[in-house]
Amino acid sequence: MNAVTYSDEVVINFLNNEVIPIQVQFDFKPLTTKYNLQWTPTIIVLDSDGKEYNRTVGYISPDEFVPFILLGIGKGYMELENYNKAIDTFKRLIDNYPKSKATPEAIYYHGVCGYKSSHEPKHLKTAYELLKNNFPDSDWTLRAEPYKEL
Amino acid sequence: MSNVLKWEKDFETALERAKKENKFVILDFFNPY
Repeated sequence: MNAVTYSDEVVINFLNNEVIPIQVQFDFKPLTTKYNLQWTPTIIVLDSDGKEYNRTVGYISPDEFVPFILLGIGKGYMELENYNKAIDTFKRLIDNYPKSKATPEAIYYHGVCGYKSSHEPKHLKTAYELLKNNFPDSDWTLRAEPYKEL
Repeated sequence: MSNVLKWEKDFETALERAKKENKFVILDFFNPY
């Protein structure tokens, strides 16, 4: 991770400016127990209370790193019921990383947050249509399939 | 000169900063060996 992902300028700028990055060794207790560490590298997105919203295990490339973090932040805002910030974060991911592995899930939850904030089903249907057109083989497209009837 | 990644080393300090700066925390467990 240090040789590739953590040497990438975009990743460095994102970590330094947009989040609080902390690095601890694999045997650092009690955090390894608290977060049920099984293998390294493990990278976890947390809020300021230490609550977890997304994690990845194993090497992650520079191209996928920021989308992974944005997905976690979006899910965090969603769980905190800050739907406007969640929608903005998912949209940033979708617009800036349209081919990322994190994008289908972001499209799904962008629709969910749109619906939760407005109670308008059109947000769910739009999410399904975007998924069907851009990620026809994704699990997230299958999960959204019932929304095509809305 | 390239940028340097500024990691926090103390978990409680990271959470306090996150609260104060209204940011999320990225916790990276690594193996230096």
